[in-house]
Amino acid sequence: MRLEIGNFYVKDIVFGRELSLKDGTLTINKEEALKFVCEDDRITEAELYIAKPGDRIRLCPVKEAVEPRIRPDGRSIFPGYTGKLKEAGEGITYALKNCSVLVVGRHRGGFQDGVIDMSGEGQKYTYFGKLNNIVLVADTNEEFEKNEQQKKNDALRRAGHRLAEFIGACAKKLIPDDTEVFDLGAMTKRGEKIEKLPSVVYVMQLQSQMEEIGYNDLVYGWDMNHVVPTAMHPNEILDGAIVSGSFMPASSKWSTYDFQNCPNLKALYREHGKTINFLGVIMSNLNAALEQKERSALFVAQIAKSFGADGAVVAEEGYGNPDADFAGCIAALEDAGVKTVGVTNECTGRDGQSQPLVTLDEKCDAIVSCGNVSQLIELPPMETVLGELQALARDGLSGGWADDEILGPSVRTDGSVIMENNSMFCGDQVCGWSPKTMEEF
Amino acid sequence: MKKAVIYVNQFFGQIGGEEQAGIVPQIHEAQIGPAMQFAKELDAEVTHTIICGDNYMSSNTEEAVGTILSMLEGKDFDIFLAGPAFQAGRYTVACGTICKAVKEKFGVPAVTSMNSETPGVDMFKKDIYILKGGNIASKMRKDIKAMAKVANKLLKGEPVGCADEEGYFARGIRRQAWRPDGKPASERMVEMLLKKLNGEAFKTELPIPKRDMVPIALAVRDLKRAKIALVNTGGIVPAGNPDRIQSASATRWGRYDISDIQALKGGEYKTIHAGFDPAAADADPNVITPVDALKALEREGVYGSLHPYFYTTVGTGTTEAEAQRMAKEMVPYFQEDHVDGVIMVST
Repeated sequence: MRLEIGNFYVKDIVFGRELSLKDGTLTINKEEALKFVCEDDRITEAELYIAKPGDRIRLCPVKEAVEPRIRPDGRSIFPGYTGKLKEAGEGITYALKNCSVLVVGRHRGGFQDGVIDMSGEGQKYTYFGKLNNIVLVADTNEEFEKNEQQKKNDALRRAGHRLAEFIGACAKKLIPDDTEVFDLGAMTKRGEKIEKLPSVVYVMQLQSQMEEIGYNDLVYGWDMNHVVPTAMHPNEILDGAIVSGSFMPASSKWSTYDFQNCPNLKALYREHGKTINFLGVIMSNLNAALEQKERSALFVAQIAKSFGADGAVVAEEGYGNPDADFAGCIAALEDAGVKTVGVTNECTGRDGQSQPLVTLDEKCDAIVSCGNVSQLIELPPMETVLGELQALARDGLSGGWADDEILGPSVRTDGSVIMENNSMFCGDQVCGWSPKTMEEF
Repeated sequence: MKKAVIYVNQFFGQIGGEEQAGIVPQIHEAQIGPAMQFAKELDAEVTHTIICGDNYMSSNTEEAVGTILSMLEGKDFDIFLAGPAFQAGRYTVACGTICKAVKEKFGVPAVTSMNSETPGVDMFKKDIYILKGGNIASKMRKDIKAMAKVANKLLKGEPVGCADEEGYFARGIRRQAWRPDGKPASERMVEMLLKKLNGEAFKTELPIPKRDMVPIALAVRDLKRAKIALVNTGGIVPAGNPDRIQSASATRWGRYDISDIQALKGGEYKTIHAGFDPAAADADPNVITPVDALKALEREGVYGSLHPYFYTTVGTGTTEAEAQRMAKEMVPYFQEDHVDGVIMVST
């Protein structure tokens, strides 16, 4: 399978008369874009903003991040989700780089939503603090979940994916600044030189804990709760086959942007043919019940064995209950003779003294650790808030609280906040960006 | 200038060797032994040196600690340092004990140093900064420098770096940190993977503690004739807590005669465990230590007989090392009375 991603580097974003991309400046016709967003009649209120690194802006509650893209041949960038079901990972895709569409709730947030700061101390906590962002702040008529802590955020998230495709269209007829080629042939036909290298699979444990449709990550539009682990080509993930869900504390989540750019996957790709034979991806999940966890681990180990994998990398999109899937999957692979590295975050508590993962197994002897979900973070007020900051305290965001005997409320009257890392939007970057690690004190 | 107090044993306090190990604590308004080098390294004036015999500290711990704490009462000091204790077993426990007590009583930071192969490390590493020290006294200069480096940061109110960077035993606290080189997880993952695939040494970022599995004991062969003993980690003690068992991170245990008692009464017995709501256990201690049920079953002949004592400690925060030591101390009593089975009640 061969995928060419044509990159267009966005240096600036402005609102103007016509959607266009010229000399690195992305111009958006705000009215036109909002009209497109409001074609979904669930959207009751929408506004667009621009948030760039260094801006004194705080975003909350952030629900999704998407890289604007377009396929010149007219296929949808999220097959089975924003458009017809077609194969992803083959052919040409155009991507607007250094740039993302962020979706922020106008009023209401939930457990899974997060915070992004564009400058100051808080900027480093998320990947999106250093991108040029087009921010859609909107509200919906989804009354059924208005006061729910767990929200599907369906209208808002879909608006984000559709808007990313709408904006990406500006590049449709242009020539990319550069092109990344992802070319990985059939596993059994790679030639002796590559086949003698140690072979490696990348196991992605996607968030799928909710039994009800609408919350979990999707693969070609299909709920990840309803799959048993299966083989996928890495190009499919880089090319929109996976859409992020709406469950799990925000810092542990992988946004759609993270899937489109998955650094772990690209890092294994880079090593392919040099130090490893990168076989491909085993797409797994994180379901809640023990038997489901065991079944998935069994499938992953079986596929890895059938492929003859020497090594594996397992990354989990979540913490707590999913740690059982993570440790169980690594143990199953090790038992099958596959040398495995895990990538995860930890939950060591505000005082750092709790057991780092819910389940520990001595077989997990090679772990890359990306942060502590419960670390306390205090941030000064920000000039501008996009969305509604009070959501962090009021709406049950995983890292916020209405009041606390010792710490007081998460959101203070002057606009400063105290929160757990849990609510930093996709902040732990287990997908591979994370510059954070854990240290013992 | 900030002020420091140093604790040393009889040997480093220049009083004498093993024959002087029984001496009671003494305090000097002077810099004795290692205190002289501390005076050079610390950004503080070393005002006092406390000297205590290792044997006296280990066999009369309460008295020794009490005496030293009262010696320090009213004294103005900003930090407390003990040792370095190298590989001297009793000295490491003494340094840990007094550092912990002084830190808790006076709220000042305490720093010590000992070799990794000593009992003091596991007992106190969670409570105080223990630098990873040498195994012999010739490492004195180096160990004092390492202690002073951490102590000076504490004195200035500067953040102390992580355990690896500063060279102290990790205190069981894990915090997130930004790598100075900013190396992303994806690159660290590839490096670790290649090393693991190639059979080279690699360093995990999340060390998993080794599990010390105890095999499940064989079933009691003849329950009708078996002697059963009752042990609990739920902190059930006679109301006055005569053995002064700690409410958390216990190092002490007690055994209490129940030969003439048919059930534990609320008010006469209670829990001193700090890890759960005590209301139910205080009202009816048998819910944790089921003396009532065991006496009844004994009368009914379900099993042979009940060992005449029940045994108590507190499980919350207690280290595995301490738990093992306490169990080893209990076992001879069971052997002596030919106990066939033990019921271990947790909470």
